[in-house]
Amino acid sequence: MTEAKKTPLLDELEKGPWPSFVKEIKRAAANSPSAQDLLGQLELSYVDKKAHWKHGGLVGVMGYGGGVIGRYSDVPEQFPNVEHFHTVRINQPSGWFYTTKALRQVCDVWEKYGSGLTNLHGSTGDLVLLGTKTEHIQTIFDEISNFEEHPMDLGGSGSNLRTPSCCAGPARCEFALIDTLDICHDLTNEFQDYLHRPMWPYKSKIKISGCPNDCVASIARSDFSIQGTWRDDIKIDQEAVRAYVAEGFDIEGLVISKCPTKCMSFDGNELTIDNANCTRCMHCINKMCKALRPGDDRGATILVGGKAPILQGAMMGWVIVPFMKLEPGSGYQELKDFLEDCWAWWDEHGKTRERIGELILRLDMRNFLRGIGREPIPQMVVAPRANPFFFWWPEEVEQD
Amino acid sequence: MEELKSQILAFLEGVSKEKPRVIAEKIGAKKRDVDKACSELAKEGKIEYLYIGTSFVTLAGKDHTPGVIREE
Ligand code: HEM
Ligand code: HEM
Ligand code: SF4
Ligand code: SF4
Repeated sequence: MTEAKKTPLLDELEKGPWPSFVKEIKRAAANSPSAQDLLGQLELSYVDKKAHWKHGGLVGVMGYGGGVIGRYSDVPEQFPNVEHFHTVRINQPSGWFYTTKALRQVCDVWEKYGSGLTNLHGSTGDLVLLGTKTEHIQTIFDEISNFEEHPMDLGGSGSNLRTPSCCAGPARCEFALIDTLDICHDLTNEFQDYLHRPMWPYKSKIKISGCPNDCVASIARSDFSIQGTWRDDIKIDQEAVRAYVAEGFDIEGLVISKCPTKCMSFDGNELTIDNANCTRCMHCINKMCKALRPGDDRGATILVGGKAPILQGAMMGWVIVPFMKLEPGSGYQELKDFLEDCWAWWDEHGKTRERIGELILRLDMRNFLRGIGREPIPQMVVAPRANPFFFWWPEEVEQD
Repeated sequence: MEELKSQILAFLEGVSKEKPRVIAEKIGAKKRDVDKACSELAKEGKIEYLYIGTSFVTLAGKDHTPGVIREE
């Protein structure tokens, strides 16, 4: 094992009240030469003020183009144990529910072939194993995909569908309006080929939240955000509303005035909601969940185009489908067709490294809507128009 | 499909790496069919996917490890 190097700059990061990744890597370094060299190389990065990782390279398992992210040290003579330090993404179960046995199996594999460092869960949602050598990757994959109980698959990386992820939904949360776990599992199986074989201009992500509270931040972190919602009226228990008020609950300050569309009013006795103008943001329901509940006609809103800043700045998704029924056991065919239509349009027109949201900006919403065969609706408006001109399609202009 | 697959392999002989879309353009095939063919070739171990900023396909066994060969 390489002799433990001094890391004065990293040591600074252990001070203070917060948990420190440095402390965790040091703990792993006691048994893992690569974790030890990781510390050394990181210290050097702080001294040199530059990262010492090279990007890319060819790392994958037979038949797959996703799931392993290649990293090589650019100073391997100094840190031979991180010459290769590849990251393995494992497709997490819907809602991140594991048995302890499943986790132990993963950890055993990782102790044998990896640095011992893990990251539950990475930004995509996957179970992330940090740091292994090229020659171990196939073995790791063979072992995890052949676990006797709970066999696992690689997750997504590269220009492909990234591992779909969802909130805990109906398993743990009273607010769930759709079965996020079932939808996530179903889509993962349906689109497994897109998950493993990169063929698109760039990455594409699906995240599913059971309600508009959007606990997986799908609107900002995924190209396709699926959020549970309802389309009938919010259910009001007027007795319970009065009980809140009687207990001194500031209904005016905390609920009525905070409703984004100002569609609520309270006359001191009855709460009224103009449901046609409610955007189903959940705010009032979160605040008074004993008195207000979502309606019974449940489904999902589908938003398209969210992403982090790479080419364009950070973007949130546009509402493209305000309401779609998503019943468990239905096969979710309408949703799948919608996704396929969007991907086909993006794949045909997108430039390399252009996300679907950026393509919509570049080619315009009307081209996107025509491409996927949908009509424009008011919900698609991101901001009021600043440009006084509107260009109709030639065939839509009637001239006399 | 077999013919398309050998066309793709022949094309990849001449380049370091390429995106399926460009391969489709260059050999005059439908992108969808090229994707399917690449998928089969990958399962057969004849091509591999490569990730350098974005994804490419390359003949199996070509070494793209940074620093090992120079990318053109
Ligand atoms: C090919 C040449 C030009 C084109 C295509 C053009 C086009 C336009 C358009 C579309 C607008 C409206 C912008 C908007 O309100 O959204 C505008 C505004 C304007 N243009 Fe031009 N323009 C041209 C040349 C000129 C020239 C030569 C002048 C002056 C000598 C001029 C003076 C103005 C003024 C004063 C405005 C109003 C600016 C404002 O509202 O603050 N334009 N132009
Ligand atoms: C057929 C002839 C013309 C057309 C179609 C036309 C069209 C327009 C349009 C679309 C705007 C922008 C309105 C807006 O802000 O929403 C505009 C503004 C303006 N036009 Fe014209 N225009 C014409 C002739 C003229 C002429 C002859 C002049 C001056 C000699 C002129 C001076 C201006 C100015 C100064 C503005 C800016 C007004 C403002 O923003 O307060 N236009 N015009
Ligand atoms: S998004 Fe909604 S359903 Fe999902 S965990 Fe959060 S509150 Fe519950
Ligand atoms: S859900 Fe949101 S928009 Fe609808 S009434 Fe409640 S606070 Fe207003």
